[in-house]
Amino acid sequence: MDRREILAERPVERGRGFMPGVSVNPSRLLFTAGLTGRGPDGSLVAGGMAPQARRTFERLQSILGRAGGKFDDAVKQLVYVTDIDAYNASGRAERAKFFGSTRTASTGLVVRRLADPAMLIEVELVIDLAGSAQGKPLLEKYNVEQHGGDFYQGVIVNGGRLLYLAGQVANNPDGSVAGTGDWRRQAEKVYENIGHVLGAAGATPASVVKETTWVLSIDSWRQHGAPVRRALYKGDYPASTLVEIPGLARGEFLVEIEVIAAVA
Amino acid sequence: MPHSTIATPEAKPVANYKMATRMEGGRLLYISGQVAWDAGGNLVGKGDVRAQARQTFQNLRGVLQAAGGDLGDLMKITTYITKIEDFPAVAEVRREVFPGELPASTLIVVRSLFHPDFLIEVEGVAAV
Repeated sequence: MDRREILAERPVERGRGFMPGVSVNPSRLLFTAGLTGRGPDGSLVAGGMAPQARRTFERLQSILGRAGGKFDDAVKQLVYVTDIDAYNASGRAERAKFFGSTRTASTGLVVRRLADPAMLIEVELVIDLAGSAQGKPLLEKYNVEQHGGDFYQGVIVNGGRLLYLAGQVANNPDGSVAGTGDWRRQAEKVYENIGHVLGAAGATPASVVKETTWVLSIDSWRQHGAPVRRALYKGDYPASTLVEIPGLARGEFLVEIEVIAAVA
Repeated sequence: MPHSTIATPEAKPVANYKMATRMEGGRLLYISGQVAWDAGGNLVGKGDVRAQARQTFQNLRGVLQAAGGDLGDLMKITTYITKIEDFPAVAEVRREVFPGELPASTLIVVRSLFHPDFLIEVEGVAAV
């Protein structure tokens, strides 16, 4: 634990619920998947931003609860929205009901599309958990709902060392792009690169804690990239987030994937 | 430095950044997405991505320094821009800010940031 808030907020940031930085002395950390406003039956709740935001934070609350965590212990949040005006009008207030006066490090982004075209908000969190990591497995992956997706809703890291990978793209060692215009080839190359980097750090795909997949088309990714991903993780998935954005560093890149992993 | 750099000949970065970093000790610092606000919360460089990038990285550095660290303690940064055409100018500012090698890095073009005037936002994670 031992959470520290770094630097005061600027006047303009006050009341928005975040701090410029938050540091912890990590012992046990929880990484959540990106959560959205899906109801218990898996379909998106009706009514737009406010109900979606409420449902998103309710679901995060149960994920935190399973790990013994609280919103008070949140270190970082990433909020993806597709409609910033709606978030400012009603989403932010829903968030505040869950976080109270807690201030996390935060990034907010307006993206092109989330998993479902009607989704307006997706939120992922990093939580500093109480308790000793001693005697616990390095990773504890779990779900609180039967969602049927290829990811875990929460992954706890007990001790160990965190590994942060740069966003991986479909580049060859000589700098050329593998699979221009070819989703499947790019997915293969990206995961091949991720495998090499993980290996160099003493990690494997099973060591991955959190994955963020940035794609130019969610539909194309599901059709051509998701099978490659499934073959890599073989059921031992990380917590993950899938986001559609308008561009990456080079025009040829269709997908960029960043992962956080943990090694003993 | 409480982190190490991971490199492998099989997978190389497309620019001058680290492929991965591993935390080896210290405190884990998550830095909020920084934008080109000055201390009073006024936007610096409206319409000028270069000026915004400089202010953004200065703010990022300010958070690191307040936590007892500096740019060299960054394990990973994510740069979000709203127009791919701005990338060359941002890359140039990043080279000024990081004269050696960048930390592990991701660049994403988003539809927009939390205010339409923001052209760049950078978040980071560090071991300090």
